Amino acid sequence: MIPVIHFLNVILPILYLGTFSVYFYDFMRGEKKFVNVKRLFIFITLFTHLIYLLIRTNEFDHPPITNVFEIFTVLAFSITFSYFLLELITDIRGTGPFIIIISLVFQLISSLFIADQFEVKEVLKNNLLGVHVVNALLGYSGFTISAVYGFLYLTLYNDLKHNRFGLIFNRLPNLEVLEKLSFYSAIIGFILLTVAIIIGVIWLPKAFPKFSFLDPKLIGTGIVWMLYGLGIFTKFFSRWRGKKLILLSITGFLIAIFSTILSNFLASSFHSFY
Amino acid sequence: MNLLAVSINHKTAPVKLRETLYLSENEVRELIEKVKREYFTQGLLISTCNRTEIYGIPDSKAITHLHLQRLITESKNSVNTTAENFQTFISRDSLNHLFSVITGIDSMLIGDNQIFKQVKDSIHIADEMHFTGFLMRHVFDSAIRVGKRAISETKISEGAVTVSYAAVQLIEKIFSNLGKKSALVIGTGETGEIAAKHLADKGIAKLTVTNRTTKKAKLLANKLNCSLLLFEEFKDHLHKYDIIFCATSSEDILIRKQDIETAMKKRGYAPMVLMDIAVPRDIDPESKEIDYVFYHDIDSLNIIVEQNVAKRRDEIPKVKKIIEEELDSFFEWYNSLQSAPTIKNLRDHFDAIRAEEVEKNINKFSADDREKLEIVTKRIINKILHAPTVELKKVNDSGTGAEDAATKIGIIRSLFGIDKAKSDIKE
Repeated sequence: MIPVIHFLNVILPILYLGTFSVYFYDFMRGEKKFVNVKRLFIFITLFTHLIYLLIRTNEFDHPPITNVFEIFTVLAFSITFSYFLLELITDIRGTGPFIIIISLVFQLISSLFIADQFEVKEVLKNNLLGVHVVNALLGYSGFTISAVYGFLYLTLYNDLKHNRFGLIFNRLPNLEVLEKLSFYSAIIGFILLTVAIIIGVIWLPKAFPKFSFLDPKLIGTGIVWMLYGLGIFTKFFSRWRGKKLILLSITGFLIAIFSTILSNFLASSFHSFY
Repeated sequence: MNLLAVSINHKTAPVKLRETLYLSENEVRELIEKVKREYFTQGLLISTCNRTEIYGIPDSKAITHLHLQRLITESKNSVNTTAENFQTFISRDSLNHLFSVITGIDSMLIGDNQIFKQVKDSIHIADEMHFTGFLMRHVFDSAIRVGKRAISETKISEGAVTVSYAAVQLIEKIFSNLGKKSALVIGTGETGEIAAKHLADKGIAKLTVTNRTTKKAKLLANKLNCSLLLFEEFKDHLHKYDIIFCATSSEDILIRKQDIETAMKKRGYAPMVLMDIAVPRDIDPESKEIDYVFYHDIDSLNIIVEQNVAKRRDEIPKVKKIIEEELDSFFEWYNSLQSAPTIKNLRDHFDAIRAEEVEKNINKFSADDREKLEIVTKRIINKILHAPTVELKKVNDSGTGAEDAATKIGIIRSLFGIDKAKSDIKE
């Protein structure tokens, strides 16, 4: 099955590129006839990606969550899958290219650097870890989508303020919808990250008796969790709205990215398994 | 096809003349009765604020465009028109014009959303008045099909092309559900009234109007069944509204930035849309600097209108292509309404039925009888078709007029299902 895995590893970025291209072309042209083509592309990409993840799990005898490049491919899948569900539920179609491009970047990096990994550290062979990682990844997918919708909100907000009535004005849903999409994605992300943190806290002392709470990954995740928690709290109990919350969401997303890079590539962290 | 058409429209006549020649529904019905008595028994009469048009197939060759022009002019007393005020069409050009009208590409407002319904209503009146013959029925069906195709296959009717509608389009880019929003319309002149109507049509939850002359505001409030605010008090209530529409003739700024700042503080900076479509402006443009305030004046709305008009203009070639396709299809059908092709089609149709039945039952006959079967069945078909063939040849020779002959042939084709059988074969 290794050649199949290698083939799919090459094919996946191409499929994401194709899906992104169709969504982008539709965004530029706004033709009704592309609706079914878009759905077909995204479905084929997600289906192929799911097959790849299953074959990989079966062949290497562990779910693809043991290093950053495996995590990137799962993240690419979960972001596009979440968007696909969102598109089906809300029927909002103009925002696809802005989200799929993020999956494309994650999958491209993953495909370039991912290795065939038969041996994994003993510490990673744990069911709790699986639940922890799945929740964390879905949570970060929620934050990614929240940040993208937040970015689109700010762009449309500025366009409306400055009388720019171009593609953004014509294709995107209205400001209220963008704000809601960003906020609800952040809530889902926050709940899932909270679950991931709780499981992590239970599992961590067992797996790493000498861990430190000053670990860059723990600090980064803590800041991200607090930022989103603050945003949700102020939305419900205070008068924060619109731009302020959106900026908080985008900041949280950037810190999450920075924290991942820091803990996996730059700083020494127990959370780095690569 | 001798389809005559005469049109007086925004390209040929000033608004005053068009207004004068506008016919109400009752006047249209009266004129149709007159046309039926004097000129033709099947046709169409369209009258909107931008055009008055007559289409018809004349009963005699002596009837020309001049008769129709006179008919329109005389429909209203004391109207002075010249030949330049009329566009005249015949045959394919008449149909092309009708198709251009129903698709909105001939409208003053390209892609006008109302014209399709207006033409359909005119067709409905023609039907009711028995002004529809076999040929005109086919013309109407083709026209409605062209109109529907233009709407569904192109973007000719998409986007706002009036300032007040552009304002509503812009508001819908900010708020998701106008059913939960409130709006205040300041100034109840023509522009303010149109804006208030658009908001009411969009289902705004709370609509309030105010005007310097309270009497005028009351009239509009009653008309739209909305609430009224005294002009002297409206500034104290600004914070209660998500949308403020200004369209007064005031020479000075009515709402200052400070007023908006105060209102925004009171409403906790919930987004507020300010639509200032007055000239000179009613709201201080500096208000746009305040967070969550979306200020737009006539210039910014005109940008949207111009963009949408340009987009609609770009769709015209696509609509023209649809029109050409439907014209070709119509005349392919019309040309089939001739004796010679109909005789051939009729014979082919019957022979196909004969051949099919022979093939189904051929095994029930011995090899010797099969040839006889062919001969006998062919003879039966020839005998059945002899009388219709003779009658069909007579239709063209009788000199009753091409349209009359086409009608008779069309009925024969329809009776024997020739066109249906042909289209089944194509599919």
